[in-house]
Amino acid sequence: MGDSQYSFSLTTFSPSGKLVQIEHALTAVGSGQTSLGIKAANGVVIATEKKLPSILVEESSVQKIQTLTPNIGVVYSGMGPDFRVLVRKSRKQAEQYHRLYKEPIPVTQLVRETAAVMQEFTQSGGVRPFGVSLLVAGFDDKGPQLYQVDPSGSYFSWKASAMGKNVSNAKTFLEKRYTDDMELDDAVHTAILTLKEGFEGQISGKNIEIGIIGADKKFRVLSPAEIDDYLAEVE
Amino acid sequence: MSKSVIDLPPKGGFSFDLCRRNDMLSKKGLKSPSFLKTGTTIVGLIFQDGVILGADTRATEGPIVADKNCEKIHYMAPNIYCCGAGTAADTEAVTDMVSSQLQLHRYHTGRESRVVTALTLLKKHLFNYQGYVQAALVLGGVDCTGAHLHTIYPHGSTDTLPFATMGSGSLAAMAMFESKYKEGLTRDEGVKLVCEAICAGIFNDLGSGSNVDVCVITKGHKEYLRNHLLPNPRTYVNPNGFTFSKKTEVLLTKITPLKEKVEVIEGDAMEE
Repeated sequence: MGDSQYSFSLTTFSPSGKLVQIEHALTAVGSGQTSLGIKAANGVVIATEKKLPSILVEESSVQKIQTLTPNIGVVYSGMGPDFRVLVRKSRKQAEQYHRLYKEPIPVTQLVRETAAVMQEFTQSGGVRPFGVSLLVAGFDDKGPQLYQVDPSGSYFSWKASAMGKNVSNAKTFLEKRYTDDMELDDAVHTAILTLKEGFEGQISGKNIEIGIIGADKKFRVLSPAEIDDYLAEVE
Repeated sequence: MSKSVIDLPPKGGFSFDLCRRNDMLSKKGLKSPSFLKTGTTIVGLIFQDGVILGADTRATEGPIVADKNCEKIHYMAPNIYCCGAGTAADTEAVTDMVSSQLQLHRYHTGRESRVVTALTLLKKHLFNYQGYVQAALVLGGVDCTGAHLHTIYPHGSTDTLPFATMGSGSLAAMAMFESKYKEGLTRDEGVKLVCEAICAGIFNDLGSGSNVDVCVITKGHKEYLRNHLLPNPRTYVNPNGFTFSKKTEVLLTKITPLKEKVEVIEGDAMEE
């Protein structure tokens, strides 16, 4: 349509009312590695595939799941370098909030501020939108929470969500398996099974990454050995 | 219309625009408000397993004790603590700020913070402000390279020492250290020596007083002993409280109720 004529400039609406660059950013996300998150009754789990471009890559140096504050973690689908920049900015914002109010930043506030940064890059000159969607998992006074933030800057709270290559299959699987009273361990098992659905090759503790936060409000990334234990339970 | 994405960094330093006005006001006789200073005795020493920091707990505003039990040992990192002497606001703000920077640094590197990192961040900031940020600090901690103890002066110079004292009570405390310090102290000997040094400051310096706070930092472990010693308890409080004797005789009691001058009518909201 006339849309393609408007796909050059980020800050121009196309006749159909879309910002085509953001659509393209979402496509970039959709071709990234699958990641998903599940909110349990007493915690949140986020997980992602960790497919490395070659067996020669030092796998322990790649960490896709990052900690933003002691009680908030984040995973992405899309472009890794864009993710790094967002993680840096979010950590700084969380620290600034803490310095100002002397309380740990609530999950909603951090998500809002990160989304605001992503939105800024959709309305400025000379920049492009971030090519990542984020899944933010946190546990604060309001309980466990899971948020998805898109390149456009919009964010939603989810009970369970997936992004990346296998998103439609993963979401269907999650819809069938999700229950409101799930415990954290069940959620981890469900996450692993969902990843397994679309996984090419042999799944192991070395090619997936899982981060959990429980009632102790401490976000941590599971070690490959712990993931292997969970995998053995699932088999 | 594009929003400016980059925040312009603040120009930094102090703005001395109001100096002339303040000068003029003080010539006219206006006393400028004094700031809360921490008088203070702060000390640190290295013992065989790590570092022990100590501080008194009195905050003074001129000749008045503003806070009888303030906290002068500030958290910088899980393995680094900092005692502050000088203007209370300056020490708190500066330690808070560097603590935040250290936290971000820890996230980015994935490693435990080093004492020299805290030291360099603090001295850079203080030197930038050319001594106007009046914070004299004793910084101590244990990291992967061992136990470290440093002093930082308001103008930005630093010392690395096995034992150190700062504040108005520093001479009294240093006298204790110089006579009793030796290398390879055990934890209990070290805590005892630190308490003696702080007590020397508390009893011999007007700017220091009240209680003793101690912080023991070793590899992988820290103990913050708030009010470890209370050598100045309130000895006697009259349970009856205060009584004021009546000095004036009452001759006549007349009560006149106040009359309402304004009538309140429920009306419509104001028309614009």
